[in-house]
Amino acid sequence: MNLDCTIDGKGLSLSVNSNKPLLLILTEDVGIKSLNSNCHGTHCGNCLVLVNDVVVLSCLMPAFRLKDATIQTFEGFSKTRQCRDIERAYQVSGNKPCPNCYASKTLLIESILQSLTGEHHAGREITMPGRIHNQIVGDTKQLDEDSITKELALNTCQCMDTGELLQIVEIALSYRRRKNVRRA
Amino acid sequence: MYEELRSTTVHTPITLSEYGQIANRFPDALNWAGGTYLMSRPNFYPMDSNIEIIDLSGIEELQRITRTDRYIEIGSMVTAAQLLDTGRQILPPVLLGALTSIGSTIVRRQITVGGSLCIPDIRLSIPTALAVLDAMAEVRIYLANGKNVTRWIPVSRLYDKDGKFVPFEGKFLLTHIRIGLQYGAYQRFLITGNPMREGNFSVIIAFQAEKTAVALGKVQLCVTFPKKGFFISKEIIGQLSGINLPIAPKTIWTITGNLKGELRKTYPSLSSLQQERALRRFASILYDLNTLYLQS
Repeated sequence: MNLDCTIDGKGLSLSVNSNKPLLLILTEDVGIKSLNSNCHGTHCGNCLVLVNDVVVLSCLMPAFRLKDATIQTFEGFSKTRQCRDIERAYQVSGNKPCPNCYASKTLLIESILQSLTGEHHAGREITMPGRIHNQIVGDTKQLDEDSITKELALNTCQCMDTGELLQIVEIALSYRRRKNVRRA
Repeated sequence: MYEELRSTTVHTPITLSEYGQIANRFPDALNWAGGTYLMSRPNFYPMDSNIEIIDLSGIEELQRITRTDRYIEIGSMVTAAQLLDTGRQILPPVLLGALTSIGSTIVRRQITVGGSLCIPDIRLSIPTALAVLDAMAEVRIYLANGKNVTRWIPVSRLYDKDGKFVPFEGKFLLTHIRIGLQYGAYQRFLITGNPMREGNFSVIIAFQAEKTAVALGKVQLCVTFPKKGFFISKEIIGQLSGINLPIAPKTIWTITGNLKGELRKTYPSLSSLQQERALRRFASILYDLNTLYLQS
């Protein structure tokens, strides 16, 4: 099938198998280096990307659900202001993920920040690829440690403990909220 | 790497009648709901190019949640995240527990209720919770002669004792799940381990019961071992039905012992870790019932 989509700001037309996972499209056809998942779909959380501004596991997203989708990998996300909030939080806390999971943990934290700040509700409507209705994502408005810990558990890399990650989320959230207030 | 492969054909019906026509033409086509199970198979890609895929995400009728005075009807393509967001006030606690047990919102956005019920070989949280709620599943069966029949089947009967999906004759589509609103006040959903990552060690228990005066009534219990079994014991349910509250520690010990015997008889290959986890979790539910009763 012909797949027309935007990857990291570049409009691409790819000829791929209709059921090829996005992970393989990005690594084999596009040559993205930040994805290093090898879990065969057991949700190791190392292949996170943004599809239409929603964080998804790219190993669970087939090509036929990606028509006209806007895909952002860590390479693209690392150049955005949102990523700077998280990187500043790494610096302030003095902890950062190992090179293996840096990309996916950063995107995972971004997903948590999106649901905590309700950016999707206020800014733009989101549509999961291949679905009719827009979905409201995340019900957590408060910094609820239990649910954030559950979210963070998606990435199985043991390089950081939960306490460190929670601290990073907290700091990044304060930057993000301050930025949103200034913008408003 | 796989350039020489022929691309699999994907059909995208937008109504159930359109689905019926495709299903009759391609009876071996693969129904695609959320895709989380299919894509987590090690041999998923490259797939046999002769297999046709029917993508169900375009059928709006399967994405509705309806509530009446007597029941909640959930379309099979409703995702776990949608159900949690829209149904938090109306869903039974045991189902809420099952939905929140699916670790991350990222995965919850993709898992569909119907898809999780139709997994052929692994039983996860949602079927366990729906089984104790006496939920019914609407299944459309597309027969070889071009006709189709609709059946309402209890979720607990969709699986055999080993947790394998009982196949239907002909192509089928699970369209809706109906949950009655007359459920018991005591509901517990407990999960130990991650059923996707450690299916051979994980245990899922769902329990519900109604309190009548000082006794338990309408007891339902389902113990799931993701890769080994889907256990609903009429004997244990019978022993718990009508039992007076608070339950004496000796009685809890006896019933737990009986459950151990039943598990050993039904699943001789069950690991001792899984068995112990199931028994301890079951006993904790009964002690919890006592606490709730004494507090009220």
